[in-house]
Amino acid sequence: MPSQLSVDYTKCTGCRICELACSAKNEGKFQPALARLKIVKYDDLGVDIPNVCGPCEEAPCVDVCPVYAMVRDPVSKMTYVNQDKCILCKSCVGVCVNGVIVLDTVRMRILKCDHCGGDPECAKACPTGAIRYASVGRIGLMGRHGKVTAYLREIRRVVTGH
Amino acid sequence: MKSNGYAGRILRVDLTDERIWTESLPREWIRDFIGGDGFAARVLYEEVGHDVDSLSPQNRLIVATGPVTGTLWPMSGRTVFVSKAAQTGIWGESHVGGFMGPELKYAGYDMLVVSGKAESPVVISILDDDADLLPADNLWGMTTAEVTAAIKKSRRDPDVQVAAVGPAGERLVRFASVIVNNARAAGRTGMGAVLGSKKVKAIAVRGHGAVEVARHDEFVQLATEAHMRVRSNPQAQQMHRWGTWILTAVKQSIGELPTYNHRTGVFDGWESLSGDHIRPRYTVSDRACFGCSLGCKKMNYVPDGPFAGTLEEGPEYEGLMAFGSSLGIADFATTLKANQICNRTGMDAISAGTTLSFAFEAFEQGLIDEKTTGGLRLQWGDGSAAVQLLEMIARREGLGDVLAEGTRRAAQRIGKGTEKLAIHVKGLEVSGQDGRTHRSIALSHATGARGADHLRSLVTVDQLGYREVAAKRWGADRLPEIIDPYTEKYKAAAVVETENTYCIRDTLIVCWYSVAWPPIFWIEDFARVLPLVTGIEQLGSVKELVRIAERQVTLKRLFNAREGIRREDDRLPDRFTKEPMPDGPGKGQLVNLDPMLDDYYRHRGWDVSTGLPTPETLRRLSLDWTARFA
Ligand code: SF4
Ligand code: SF4
Ligand code: SF4
Repeated sequence: MPSQLSVDYTKCTGCRICELACSAKNEGKFQPALARLKIVKYDDLGVDIPNVCGPCEEAPCVDVCPVYAMVRDPVSKMTYVNQDKCILCKSCVGVCVNGVIVLDTVRMRILKCDHCGGDPECAKACPTGAIRYASVGRIGLMGRHGKVTAYLREIRRVVTGH
Repeated sequence: MKSNGYAGRILRVDLTDERIWTESLPREWIRDFIGGDGFAARVLYEEVGHDVDSLSPQNRLIVATGPVTGTLWPMSGRTVFVSKAAQTGIWGESHVGGFMGPELKYAGYDMLVVSGKAESPVVISILDDDADLLPADNLWGMTTAEVTAAIKKSRRDPDVQVAAVGPAGERLVRFASVIVNNARAAGRTGMGAVLGSKKVKAIAVRGHGAVEVARHDEFVQLATEAHMRVRSNPQAQQMHRWGTWILTAVKQSIGELPTYNHRTGVFDGWESLSGDHIRPRYTVSDRACFGCSLGCKKMNYVPDGPFAGTLEEGPEYEGLMAFGSSLGIADFATTLKANQICNRTGMDAISAGTTLSFAFEAFEQGLIDEKTTGGLRLQWGDGSAAVQLLEMIARREGLGDVLAEGTRRAAQRIGKGTEKLAIHVKGLEVSGQDGRTHRSIALSHATGARGADHLRSLVTVDQLGYREVAAKRWGADRLPEIIDPYTEKYKAAAVVETENTYCIRDTLIVCWYSVAWPPIFWIEDFARVLPLVTGIEQLGSVKELVRIAERQVTLKRLFNAREGIRREDDRLPDRFTKEPMPDGPGKGQLVNLDPMLDDYYRHRGWDVSTGLPTPETLRRLSLDWTARFA
């Protein structure tokens, strides 16, 4: 079974340590704008949703790439960018549903998560266990909108008095 | 080239001339002050003299960061706002969590210095190299939550960080706060009023750059270990679960939970304000500031009762105290509602709550009546009256207009002996501690540069009786007195050491909870990390860090001295020095301040009779240059 990044929204505190750890490892500096994952924060609701790369059922970044620079591993379903082929049309950036494919406008290259070669930094750094790296079987079918649902359930629980 | 923890640039905004420019960060400031509070003190001392009124265009509003801001170092998301305080007219500073400081660093600035006054409302908008003043007439009058949402929407970027003032800041409520991330408050000393006086509705920052440190790999390793220390610390784990509400039970058990306007230190209804009660009934999610593996923030929701539907982050222990025990209110929902009003209108919860309890006690004693209050009956425990009066303060309406001046000025306006009910030091309302049951905090409150302050030095070692820690830090020969909360002996030594450590913490800048309660890091840890970040070996010496801390404490003192602050101003309210604690574990206790003050000045190298730094001290700390601006 290939491993995947899985996310439990209910555990995420929104601290962005994962973004820091990702940029520290892959860029050698602290620059969340270049992290390969993204924490989307809803301060008004108290919800923080980590967006990590894949594996998507559909892979729009692969479908859209005009030069086949974006490729997909048939087993893990993870997608990878081949920098040598990439012509920087930026289509994948726009089409990514998670917004985690990033254009580095300084060095002009596409940044895309590669699971740190099998030992992802973000999962190691996350203090709450909101991001885990495990085989698909162990993850099960954690819903993408798990935290929102759990959150609404929590509100309902307190509203109706347990 | 690596930036070694600093962006190397200061962003300057002059609102009067609508001029925006950058200056490079003087290298010697790093060596002399490290960052944060230190940089800000350097600027404020030089540029805001005795003749400047806090609410005038000549005052500066400084937003500063430190060398670890934006890095992986634990709890490094803090930002400090510094100004001549709207509330006290002396040194003012207020630290805030959230994500603002890192964003400013990523945009490429170590600090922002705002001067002048805009003709009509503006937003200071910073997007990497582009800084701009945008008209904000349409945002004036909005709550902080509304203006934050509006700016994120118009920018089409949820990641833009907004520091906003609410209606209270616009109306120059003296204890108006600046709110970042909807609910994190730069609360104390009235930074919101300073921004309001400059007609700045918000500062919006977005940056895409990097923070680089001198020795990246070693730094990452040390930071990772530091995070593990936070994660494995038992108190930190408790704090993650219960937030700062865990303190309610602790304070009740030692008789130091301010109740009825600090009249006593025990509160019968404390259980409704404790973590055990709150979490299962109200808490819907756990949150954290930037880079924090502790995560003390809690989102709460009120399911029923008069405040049903309230959804808000907080309050902290201080809010529970200010809107709960201090007003005799044993109801969490009321404190959450009051906290929400403070966040949205932009007011400091501590000062607002203490000001309310001042009014409640004045009402109880018949010094004000229903004619003054506009029909409100201010009776201990009446949450609805408290919330109504709080809203009146934000609107500056009726009695609220008087109370919006803070307890010191309000008491002067009302007269009739209400001064003795105004629980403040140098005009800043006392926070949720009591010097009678914890002598070192008495000294901290009295000597703090910004007035009654619990954040620049709060010795927890004596309060909680950590015997081993005290023996290690201050020598076994000073036991047992140094951990006895009821004696004045040796307390100055403990306060000075703690104040020095916290001072370095406030230059880095990192969160209070990483050094205080729980005590995870201390000055030795900062000495280990600073050379890795800055590449300056000298900052790896504890002795050097202590010298920098002393320099900073003394510079803030010089700022205050120029405003006329002397030994006789380092006072406590009579309540703590003349009215013995009436009940609870600390029954009969009183503060004897003077011997502690003598000790404190000697430790600091300040003149014992005046409280002013001596010429030798100024020379020793290389502060001679201050004479030019004296
Ligand atoms: S930017 Fe590169 S990888 Fe992305 S779609 Fe275009 S060619 Fe493919
Ligand atoms: S797996 Fe590695 S590259 Fe991907 S998001 Fe996590 S840290 Fe970044
Ligand atoms: S490190 Fe974990 S808890 Fe923190 S933001 Fe990332 S996923 Fe959330």
